Amino acid sequence: MRPDERELDDEIRGHLAISVKERIERGEDPEAARLAALRELGYIPAVRESMRRVWYSRAFDAAAALGRDVRFALRSLRRAKGLALTVVVTLALGIGANAAIFSVVRGVLLRPLVNRDEDRLLYIRQASTRDAADNMTFSIPEYKDLKARVTTIAAFGDFSTVDFTLVGLGSEPRIIKAGVVGGSFFDVMGLRPALGRLLNANDDGPKAAGAAVLTYRFWTTALNSDPTVIGRAIRLGPSPATVVGVLEPSVPYPADTEIIANVVTSPHHLGVVMVEDRRHRMTEIFGRLAPGRSIDDARAELTAAHAAIVQAHPEAYQPGAKVQLTVKKLRDQIAAPARTILIFLLAAAALVFVIACSNVANLILARSVRRETELAVRAALGASRGALRRTLLAESLVLCGAGAVLGVVYSRPFVYLVARYAARFSVRALDVTVDSTVVWVGAALAIVAAILLAYVPRLPSSHAAGGLGLAGSGRITASTNRRLRMFATAQIAFSFVLLAGAAMLLATLVSMQTAATGFDVRKVLVFDVPPAATGVAGQRALDFYQQAITRIGQLPGVEGVAIGSFVPWRDSDGVFGGSGMPFTVDGYTPASGEAPPRARFRLVTPGFFNVLGVPIVAGRDFTADDRKGDELVAIVSQAVAQRLFPNADAVNRHLVWLEPLFNKMTLRIVGVAADVDDENVGPGSPMTVYQPVRQLGYGSRLFVRVAADPYPLVPAITRTIRGISPDQAVERAATLEDVRTEVLAPERLNAFVFSGFAGMALLIAVVGVAGVLAFSVSARTREFGVRLAVGSSPRQLLGRVLSEGVVIAAIGIATGAVGGYALARAASRFFERVELPGALPVVGAAAVLVGAAVIASLMPAARASRVDVLQALRSE
Amino acid sequence: MAKTPDEGRLELLQGTLDMLILRTLQWGPRHGHGIGQAIRIQSEDLLKVETGSLYPALHRLVKRGWLKAEWGVSEANQRAKYYRLTAAGKEQLLREKNRWSQLVHAIGRIMNPAPLDKE
Repeated sequence: MRPDERELDDEIRGHLAISVKERIERGEDPEAARLAALRELGYIPAVRESMRRVWYSRAFDAAAALGRDVRFALRSLRRAKGLALTVVVTLALGIGANAAIFSVVRGVLLRPLVNRDEDRLLYIRQASTRDAADNMTFSIPEYKDLKARVTTIAAFGDFSTVDFTLVGLGSEPRIIKAGVVGGSFFDVMGLRPALGRLLNANDDGPKAAGAAVLTYRFWTTALNSDPTVIGRAIRLGPSPATVVGVLEPSVPYPADTEIIANVVTSPHHLGVVMVEDRRHRMTEIFGRLAPGRSIDDARAELTAAHAAIVQAHPEAYQPGAKVQLTVKKLRDQIAAPARTILIFLLAAAALVFVIACSNVANLILARSVRRETELAVRAALGASRGALRRTLLAESLVLCGAGAVLGVVYSRPFVYLVARYAARFSVRALDVTVDSTVVWVGAALAIVAAILLAYVPRLPSSHAAGGLGLAGSGRITASTNRRLRMFATAQIAFSFVLLAGAAMLLATLVSMQTAATGFDVRKVLVFDVPPAATGVAGQRALDFYQQAITRIGQLPGVEGVAIGSFVPWRDSDGVFGGSGMPFTVDGYTPASGEAPPRARFRLVTPGFFNVLGVPIVAGRDFTADDRKGDELVAIVSQAVAQRLFPNADAVNRHLVWLEPLFNKMTLRIVGVAADVDDENVGPGSPMTVYQPVRQLGYGSRLFVRVAADPYPLVPAITRTIRGISPDQAVERAATLEDVRTEVLAPERLNAFVFSGFAGMALLIAVVGVAGVLAFSVSARTREFGVRLAVGSSPRQLLGRVLSEGVVIAAIGIATGAVGGYALARAASRFFERVELPGALPVVGAAAVLVGAAVIASLMPAARASRVDVLQALRSE
Repeated sequence: MAKTPDEGRLELLQGTLDMLILRTLQWGPRHGHGIGQAIRIQSEDLLKVETGSLYPALHRLVKRGWLKAEWGVSEANQRAKYYRLTAAGKEQLLREKNRWSQLVHAIGRIMNPAPLDKE
């Protein structure tokens, strides 16, 4: 039905013919009739246009024009394949990195949780402001008091983490991290079952039957989504339980548990200490806001209630410590640890994008200088400035579009990489998926880049159309040259910031990895051998471990065996916090107002120091004769000895624990061990007090010193332990060296990711500098010809171009150093722990950049020195 | 521009051109020029439709489905596009006619108010 263009012409022609004929029939002169008919018709193009407009909208015309421009752009880019490829790849790097990181940021920080009404779900925690041990959870009496005093929270849920030995799912007994929850937990969290049911009020209390819910991840990965698992009888440590349901996929918080069970499964939770001791804190609290109340209401009420509780029970808190309550939305609490790192990543990605854009701008600018003749000819032939701009826009759209497509494609694997990385900081990153965000971000960035790039080249101005471009070909103007150099300098500056940052992370990593730890990290195998499965306790547990030490010690290749309570770096000191317990020694009076010293508390068996390669510097090791009931003895670290007995021998002095739980336990120091830091990788001299396993509780970590290759011994050791107790779990066998490697993984990933960005930036900057110089050389062929003709040597020209590259790099580095310093200062106001890199990384980064600039300048410089004088002079 | 021949002409009221075109085509298909002439003659030269308005209007009416266009040969043996009323066009003409008489009536009431009497 839509008439084509020719039909419109035909219709007008027909109209004219009829009109003329009628006039002639009326007796007018043919020539006069024709003129009259034409006059009556009016301006034919306007009539035709108004008919056409009925069928074709302006948008249609604009799209058609853009289509023509795009086809033109494709044709002209086909003649500059190298440039097009460079531009597309550079943009793809910038766009892909941003799209990927933004997806992860969105997934981790911005996406709502699956929990019902998740923005009314709160996480409540108390923390001591003074103490480094600020990771306090709640004790049951505290929780009960809080529950009784507030009305802004409709319901509370509680959660505590326990390691269970799980028997009955899978072939081997294994240790699992389990959550133990009260009956209201799932309702407060607003979660639904994927299968079966969740725990409810009927499962609460000491008389309920043992019931457990599997997390979705555990069910799908470990149990292959087996639906028959519902109703299966299992054993959690010594307690029987039934699997009643599978939880829907949700963020595992506060801990990545595999099973969530009711209170009755954990004898500890039913015990007097858990229920009555106000200082026994292991419960995490969630709350759901009452209808109509805001988080601020709740915060005010909870804080007041908490203050009253603290005041009523001063004995439950460290004297002098100020304990405060924090109330956060659960979503914010989960995302918090990842926020800083993700914002840094986003900043790094944005830098890469800026570098990529400025590099592409450079290439486009250089190209447009070569095209000035073409543009001038088109302007002279009547193309409007708008039309020329549109041509340029089409070209940059094509380039940026291709870059975006490539970037989005490569961002897919990148999203998973970054998500795995971010998962170390926030569990939410585990279920980040590639979604349309990537595409939107990619498209938006491409459009931004395209518009910027289209405005980079100068158009031949209308009044100077004859003068510019038509006459000379590709002569570079001062302002273009300045712009080119500016872009290249900017790239170097941004690359420098990224490089220096990455170098700093690498330097930290290397120093941590290579620092002496005080342990024989290569010769020591560690195992987790938890005691729960067999239900052994007390003397039987001690006998079991004693037997294990003896039997494993008889294996060929084993040089020593010991039991301890703490695997260096891998274990965390949950109950007593990072800063240890307060103690004092005889003859020590702290200055007034000074807090008592604190020491880490470790249990070890005789031989422990020998097995780990830590020398005893004074006194003796523990022996089999240090038993329960005898005088309590201790070995202290050198730091304790030096701080508390600066001028005397520590051996045979007495040490008293001030921690209320320990009831003023007094120990005689029998030895001093060399300092080792078993919580932070690297050298350190924390105060540590070791006590014999046999005198106090138990340790469940096995340490085996081996003569040669450690790992082949693992099966024999496991078999030996199972030979003593068939249901015993033996897990996480590793050398101390691998424990350290594992613990340093986040640092390694940090360094890896930032190095990746820095490498990308460096690559782009090298291409940029090379491009600028290559262009500047080729545009100055004539100048070089003249210089050679008047007696410059090729070597001088080479040096000249090289020095131009180095100058660009130097200015860039100086700008980057100033800007980076300012940035770090600004960032330190918003984030804790912003460190300025040391001198070595900065100098290293600068050296790398200067080196890169020299390499990038070499090719254009060589070209300049080989200019043929005659040809150069004749070239214009 | 000489304005003599245009003197005494009336401006077309906004929106009435479509109605006039439909009405003109009531007695059979015509080409564009013929439609313009018919409006001029039937209005006794009081209305003259500009070609620049007539043709876009015709195309608009075709697009809305009220007219159908076909190529034909004029009485003067000239190839021309003929416009014909469709069924939908006839209904539309009826609607416009009603609206028009209402409008005329309403404006008439305002411009020549009836003497104030009982109702």
